[in-house]
Amino acid sequence: MNLLTALARFLIFPGLLFAVPAAWFFLWVERKAVALMQQRVGPPFMQPFFDFVKLLGKTTPPRTGISGFLMRAWPLLAVSSAAGAVGLLPVLPSSGGFEGDLILLLALLELPSICMIAAGFSSRSLFGEIGSAREAALGVSYNIVFLLAIVSIAASQHSFRLEALASMHPSFLTVLGIVAILVCLPAKLHINPFSLPNAEQEIYAGPMTEYAGPELAMWELAHGLEWVAGTGLVATLVAPQVSAAWLAAFIFVVLACVTVLLLSGLAAATARLAIDSSVRFYWQATLIFAILAISSVILVRFRP
Amino acid sequence: MNILTMMWQNLRRGYQTLLFPARPAVTRRFRGLVQFDPALCTGCAVCRFRCTSRAIEFKAGKGEFTWSYNPGQCTFCGRCVEGCAEHALKEGRAKHALSQQEDTPPVYLAQGELRKSYTVARRPPMPKPSAPSPAKTAGADACATAGLEAGATPATGGAQ
Repeated sequence: MNLLTALARFLIFPGLLFAVPAAWFFLWVERKAVALMQQRVGPPFMQPFFDFVKLLGKTTPPRTGISGFLMRAWPLLAVSSAAGAVGLLPVLPSSGGFEGDLILLLALLELPSICMIAAGFSSRSLFGEIGSAREAALGVSYNIVFLLAIVSIAASQHSFRLEALASMHPSFLTVLGIVAILVCLPAKLHINPFSLPNAEQEIYAGPMTEYAGPELAMWELAHGLEWVAGTGLVATLVAPQVSAAWLAAFIFVVLACVTVLLLSGLAAATARLAIDSSVRFYWQATLIFAILAISSVILVRFRP
Repeated sequence: MNILTMMWQNLRRGYQTLLFPARPAVTRRFRGLVQFDPALCTGCAVCRFRCTSRAIEFKAGKGEFTWSYNPGQCTFCGRCVEGCAEHALKEGRAKHALSQQEDTPPVYLAQGELRKSYTVARRPPMPKPSAPSPAKTAGADACATAGLEAGATPATGGAQ
């Protein structure tokens, strides 16, 4: 992948130019789907965009005892890492890539969570600290399963290159890995039943409690980009290989939307779990399957 | 799987949210502002004693009494209406400070602005109808007649 391709992927497709409107669209799809399942009207189509613009126009009130630089840096870092993660997704056929880009993608996907934890503690708010502690506890629980699932898929393909993963033939192990990723996505995207870190009506907005104005707008955007990256990862793993670029992009968007709807259904159907139940779920119920998946992959790989 | 069925039905039914300016109708057992009928009130002040939020005030005067009600303080528990033996109090249906049936809900800026006061002329209590008994004395008959005559007096005066 040369510099020009890398820039085009980061800035145009599937990077910022595509990912930012897609983030607003996915946020709208999620909110609207949950609303309709709860017999509510839900937001109008442009609402996430309006929210973003409105927040950009507001001023942040002065906060004593808080480092302004850190408070501004965390959301920007979260947005750039989430946008970078979307840019790495191998949406178009033969779009390039490099050996080990899967590891970079995993790191970029994790960075917004780490930024959020740091932002909660930086804000010196009691609610922010509680939210960050919850996010950290949840992070060490679901990330083990998430990483094991992706590593098992990568090991079955003998490659850490995303393009190789996107063009793999479906097998039982890969399906198991994709299901494990899907199980981890609600926790990664902070939706029910794993919406503890930003539990509204309980700890206000968790790590975001002290945020307002353009900084909050950046957090909202980072959250939307996380949606695109998370659901896009599933979409690229599931999508069949096609030669036409426009068809590949269309299939990517449709599959990502289906994943969003699936997650919205889960969010509407479940209530928030307590932190001990959430951690127990990942450590007890899903870790076994993830270990089974990776051990099967290792066995298959070293079979005579 | 009950929740999935419910969600599917919700999706099929569509949203139930009323869009502005449509407003939901009040329920059948809705308790509104307390309505006072001065013609029926005997001034026993039971409503004042039953009112835990002190929305009802009662001042006894010479030959009259003042009954006042402050809707801003009322919790609409309905205990005053329950306790009124003369049925002088009843619960309003549509006229409610928080009711959305009114086009413009009342806006008040000062405490007690919605208070309503009635000054009612006190009337003597209605006599109990005496049961006819064969062992009645002439004196008892005379008392009953006097009572009936006395009872007729406030009927002409009435409550103001």
